[in-house]
Amino acid sequence: MNKPKNDLLQGTLALLVLKTLTRGPMHGYGITLHIQSVSKEFLRVEEGSLYPALHRMEQDGWVSAEWGASQNKRRARYYRLTSSGRKQLAEEEKNWERLTKSVAQVLQFA
Amino acid sequence: MSLIARLRSMLRRERLDRELGDELRSHIEMRAADNLAAGMTSEEAGYDAQKRFGNTTLLKEDTRTIDIISWVDECVRDFRYALRMLQRSPGFTTVAVLTLALGIGANTAIFSVVNSVLIRPLPYHDPDNLVMVWESSSQHPNPHNTVSPPNFLDWQTRNTVFSSMAFIFDERENLTGNREPEEVVVQAVSANFFSLLGVNPILGPGFAPENGQPGHDNVVILGYGLWKERFAGDLAIVGKSILLNGHPQTVVGVTPQNFNWFIKDGSLTGAKPQVWSPFVFPQAFHDHKQMGRFMTVAARLRPGVTASQAQSEMSAIAAQLEQEYPDSDGHWGVNVVSLRDQISGDLRPALLVLFGAVAFVLMIACANVSSLLLARAASREREMAIRTAIGASRWRIARQLLMESLLLALIGGGIGVALAVWGTNALLAASPRNLLDLHAISMDLPVLGFAIAATLVAGLLFGFLPSYISSHSRISETLKEGGRGSSANRRAFARNAFVVAQLGLALVLLAGSGLLIRSFVRLIGVDPGFNANHLLTFKITLPQSKYGKDLSCIAFFQQLLARIRVIPGVRSASMESFPPLTGLGAATGVHILSQPQQSLGDLPVANVGVVGQDYFSTMNIPLRAGRLFNAQELAQEKHVTVISQAFADKYLRAVNPLGQKAVIYMKSDAEAESQPSEIIGVVGDVHQIGLDTAPEPTVYWPHPELVMSGMTILVRTSTDPLALVSTIRNELQQMDPELPTAAVATMDQLLADSLSRSRFTMLLLGIFSVVALVLASVGIYGLIAYSVAQRTQELGIRIALGAQRRDVLRLVLAQGTRLTLLGVAIGVLAALALSRLLATLLFAVSATDPLTFAGVAALLAIVALGACFIPARRATCVDPIVALRYE
Repeated sequence: MNKPKNDLLQGTLALLVLKTLTRGPMHGYGITLHIQSVSKEFLRVEEGSLYPALHRMEQDGWVSAEWGASQNKRRARYYRLTSSGRKQLAEEEKNWERLTKSVAQVLQFA
Repeated sequence: MSLIARLRSMLRRERLDRELGDELRSHIEMRAADNLAAGMTSEEAGYDAQKRFGNTTLLKEDTRTIDIISWVDECVRDFRYALRMLQRSPGFTTVAVLTLALGIGANTAIFSVVNSVLIRPLPYHDPDNLVMVWESSSQHPNPHNTVSPPNFLDWQTRNTVFSSMAFIFDERENLTGNREPEEVVVQAVSANFFSLLGVNPILGPGFAPENGQPGHDNVVILGYGLWKERFAGDLAIVGKSILLNGHPQTVVGVTPQNFNWFIKDGSLTGAKPQVWSPFVFPQAFHDHKQMGRFMTVAARLRPGVTASQAQSEMSAIAAQLEQEYPDSDGHWGVNVVSLRDQISGDLRPALLVLFGAVAFVLMIACANVSSLLLARAASREREMAIRTAIGASRWRIARQLLMESLLLALIGGGIGVALAVWGTNALLAASPRNLLDLHAISMDLPVLGFAIAATLVAGLLFGFLPSYISSHSRISETLKEGGRGSSANRRAFARNAFVVAQLGLALVLLAGSGLLIRSFVRLIGVDPGFNANHLLTFKITLPQSKYGKDLSCIAFFQQLLARIRVIPGVRSASMESFPPLTGLGAATGVHILSQPQQSLGDLPVANVGVVGQDYFSTMNIPLRAGRLFNAQELAQEKHVTVISQAFADKYLRAVNPLGQKAVIYMKSDAEAESQPSEIIGVVGDVHQIGLDTAPEPTVYWPHPELVMSGMTILVRTSTDPLALVSTIRNELQQMDPELPTAAVATMDQLLADSLSRSRFTMLLLGIFSVVALVLASVGIYGLIAYSVAQRTQELGIRIALGAQRRDVLRLVLAQGTRLTLLGVAIGVLAALALSRLLATLLFAVSATDPLTFAGVAALLAIVALGACFIPARRATCVDPIVALRYE
């Protein structure tokens, strides 16, 4: 295991997943691939946390899920952003901006 | 998160599981395919994809936790697992379940009695405000003495603490008419009796206030039982007339089925009432000088008044009355007793002792099961260690073990409740007449709730320690040492402690029942003062209307006795007004003329017995001095009396009682004073109330001296007394077809009845302590047997090295002896501390009777060591070769 291992900050996983799903319905594996490639392999989603997170978001109604066929004709479970998921995303993005801005300020100041 | 959604998910769990599996598999396959495309070998590709997931099972569980309320789900799984574990060891399960069933069943059965007697509200309106008001005298031991009518009237007008007061007195009356004559117990009551209790008849209007006025009192309320039996539950009974002692009475009501008013103290008949009729005080009842004490008084406290406030005001009123009427009220005070205490009074100590005893039995049972679980946990240590190693948390393991305990408890509790239902019926069947109200005791909701609570508490109690120790074991050691790991010591200590505790608890119970047995032996060793064998008793009450004249009354009884005496199988026959063991006697003041005159209240007090011909010889009461009544004295008034030894000892100690003259205040004062009785003889004492009550001073009169219309006939037979009842009834029918025989019993039965409460308590406590003894023995047996099994190897080596049977035996028994002695010592201390709770139940035995304590300690030690001896002997038979190959 020589790839850089960056466990996601607690709470950011939901943000990333929701953001990823704005591109359209996607299965779990697709979500990990997407996050990994967009972050240039820097962020890596642990499978062990992804599925519990996806199911929790489903229970909370932020995403809905249904079975579909993947590009190479595999059966896969596709997650789709719901309207309450969009609201949640907006909320979390705002939080994230506030967080990064505050962290940056601290770093500049110190 | 939506609870409903998750609950729904739980129901669809299997599908969800399958879907989750599919989802994860598709993820892995996609990853593997990509890996393959990136140039890995297919083996590497699959492995990498799988590895990234780590522990798929854990992941699945974590994910499922999101979908389902996991703990409910896990509990269900634990439950299934526990069920499988119990099925797999049927021997253990059977022993544990039966032990628990015994403990929970006994607790539930006794609680059902406790509930009905001590807890369940009495079936009256606002029962907490109901009290009984008694008189009590500094000169009499009885704190619940009946009340005189003039005092009742004065209390009623002077008190401010009661919203109402009612009086009650009972008598037997002949019910004639539609069927064969029957003697029934009638309570004469004030017209407000039922409204005071807040009880409404199920039929009819009940008593109206004007029924308390002269001329309007010819009405009755029928008890439910009599209405059902004698009147076949006639729904149109109200308004009909019944004949009581020949007088027509109009039925104005029927009591509810659960109306079981019966206050034994102060009852002249000692029997449950069947009919109630309003009673109007005649003018004489207002006269303090003339009236004796014979009424029971019930009262309802005014709202906001406590029983102790009522007590102090009533005491003040009694003090006024004492001043105003020193002759009749000297030394007399008032005793206010709450109705609940009145009813449960004598039963409470016995019930609480029994309840404590069954709680002990349950604790011993719990200790046994806990000890079994500990032994089993040792053999399952590896299983637990492996479960911990692959990721089960402590809590998870503890919970699983607790689930097994609870399951055991639930099965045991279920069987226990069934046992309790059966046991309660057995209890009622074995319980003496009149002791427990049969209808009142049932498996109702509070009892069931108690059983469930007892079950859960028991499950947690015996399950806690084993599951705690198992879930806190150190895995590595356990796995290394092959199952005999770190927890072994803690378990051994816990099991030893359990055995000591069990033995201690068992000793307390054994001491308690030992004391009761000794007390009972003392009690039945008491000489009643007469011979109770082959003695038939029954009561005849002649109606005033027909036998009003004294002469016809005397003649009737003489003729009846003469007819009975010639019946084959009858050796002798006589009669007494209040023979021993048939209820309270009548007591009065006696003035011995050679002693200074005192106020009525200060006079010596004696029971008065009115007797027929041959009474003392029929009863086998010995003559101590002087002579008995002769034929003339038994035919007409000759003013003579025979006194009991206790009377002579108490009041005539210094003088020869024979020839002394005494005024016995049982007739009107003038009549009594003009006809003092000469003492002609002294006879042996009899126990009037019971064997546990000291004989009271008694004076006897021949029947003509005080003609009573109600007499108890006593027939000494040479065969079974009850076999003669129908012949005697025939004779009676020939003389007067309307006369019933009441309270037919043999004196042996009466004697047994008077002992029944002591016998009942002793029997139950005895059973519980035997159960405790057996359980504790099983406990110590199990422990020693287990430790022998554990030490087989060691014992084998010892034997191989030359240890003798004796050495091995001593080695094993030493452990048992230490535990036994410790348990017995702790038990003796605890029993010494607790046995004083038994004091009120004991007769002529001290609560710390050394003989009893030594006896039960020895018994327990012998049984416990005997239980140790079985595995110890097995240990001596260990074959060293086999033992060394062990493992």
